Amino acid sequence: MRSAGVVLGQELRDLWLGGRALALTFAFSLLLSLLAYLVATNRALNFLEQRETVNLTLQVAVAVGALLTLLTAADMVSGERERGTLESLLLTPASRLEIVAGKLLASLSLWVAAFAITIAYVWFLGRGVGIAGDALVSGIVVGTLLAIFLASVGILISLFATSNRVSLSLSLFFLLALFVPTQLPSGATSGWAGDFLLRVNPLTAGEHYIGRIVVDGRGWSEDVTWLTSPLIAAPLFAVLALAVGGRRLSLRGGASE
Amino acid sequence: MTQAVEANAVGKRYGALVALDDLSFAAEQGEILGVLGPNGAGKTTAIRILTTILEPTHGSFSVAGVPHTRPAEIRRRTGVLPESAGYPERQTAEEYLRYQGRLFGRSRAAARTAAAALLEEVGLADRGRTLIGTYSRGMRQRLGIARALVNEPQVVVLDEPTLGLDPAGQRQMLGIIRRIAGERGATVLLCTHLLAEVEETCTRVLILNRGRVVAQGTVAEVARQAAAPRTVTIRVPAEDAERARASLSPLEVVLSGGTLRVQLDGAEPNEPLRRLVDGGIEVRSYELEAARLSDAFLAMTEAAT
Repeated sequence: MRSAGVVLGQELRDLWLGGRALALTFAFSLLLSLLAYLVATNRALNFLEQRETVNLTLQVAVAVGALLTLLTAADMVSGERERGTLESLLLTPASRLEIVAGKLLASLSLWVAAFAITIAYVWFLGRGVGIAGDALVSGIVVGTLLAIFLASVGILISLFATSNRVSLSLSLFFLLALFVPTQLPSGATSGWAGDFLLRVNPLTAGEHYIGRIVVDGRGWSEDVTWLTSPLIAAPLFAVLALAVGGRRLSLRGGASE
Repeated sequence: MTQAVEANAVGKRYGALVALDDLSFAAEQGEILGVLGPNGAGKTTAIRILTTILEPTHGSFSVAGVPHTRPAEIRRRTGVLPESAGYPERQTAEEYLRYQGRLFGRSRAAARTAAAALLEEVGLADRGRTLIGTYSRGMRQRLGIARALVNEPQVVVLDEPTLGLDPAGQRQMLGIIRRIAGERGATVLLCTHLLAEVEETCTRVLILNRGRVVAQGTVAEVARQAAAPRTVTIRVPAEDAERARASLSPLEVVLSGGTLRVQLDGAEPNEPLRRLVDGGIEVRSYELEAARLSDAFLAMTEAAT
């Protein structure tokens, strides 16, 4: 896997020194700043209990951090295809598996940066009630699982997309579809079917778990069943992305070579 | 001679569409083999199969002695300039070549040294630290050649290396290609539409049409095989010149003193000679103009359509 390290290094340089990742994380920090300012000063939001303020900030940070990771991963193959640089990669002795692994790991760097930025906001908003530590630990666990899951989905979409625009659109649509249960009226998610819907969706299950830890002050193991779908989805989709990428990374998108 | 590239009945199908049909040829070490064909002839498919980007539907091939069942080993020994190669706009040429060198297994230091040497070799040493985004078409093509040489390949495949270059750039590129074969001893497969550069540079040619090989051999062999001469230059005594022209009618004749330049227009090459002899005219010399590769190319590719 030596070549995976070389690809990873180059992708990180392209992302961070090229400025694309810096621009995204700058936008992310602006969003968190705005949110923190509103929850600290806006009357309606300021009415929230402090634990809920931390929970809201953390959930937004996890969701947006995962979105950045997904979009970055969705550009990794289809974007390189469109820029005409994929062929020179495929002409090297690096295996397709190594190339995809390097790109998958590089896209996760967006989540790492997003979480690093989040630390300061959660610490600031959670000071005095002793939940900053628990919030940050639950945030990094859930966020990392979701980032791996979504980055893998992004890579899979990118492998088969016929253009970069299609890849980015499909990825965004997929994420929005994952958010649908959060927009349902509370009555729709209260029965066993609603509970199942929330639990089977890694995004809603993960965010629910964070809420239990941060807002309800539950212990780590009390509601750990909510982590089931993120714990299954992250490794499953990562292996799937690597396996499919190792066989199907090609100059053309679509179903056939 | 060692066979650097050998293909046996290699084919590629996309459903019912035959992109390449039974490609068989061999290229020797150190030779420059021109691969010709009109658009859609299967040149790029052939190149992508030989460079292991695509898998053949049938047939077998070897590159630098490595069978096609070991694609990573083939890639390790092959350098390629793809037709539509893209370059990272925000990297410098030096960074790009270092990255490519690392992907071929070189250490950081070795990749750095190789990048500097290659930039020097293709005449980009003074622009090595400039962003590729600022490069002209010719500079990108030279960078592409440098990339193709980053692993010191035994076989170099160049797909339209002179595309979009001005005449000076084309000449410079052909010089580099000759050096790759001459000084490095690498086998070069040169895909191009420019027949003049093939005549000038290649030791042998392979003509593809509709996925099939329609001719292969030296430039002279292929030209002879496919196309008859188009003109003949005849010298007769000056006083017989007008009579000679009349006897050659209706062939188009340009008369200059005792020299007649005759357009054959599909007539047998010896037809003018027969007429002059039958007319009792002394023929002092009779020179058929050798067929050109372009005539052969057109004859072979048009005949097949």
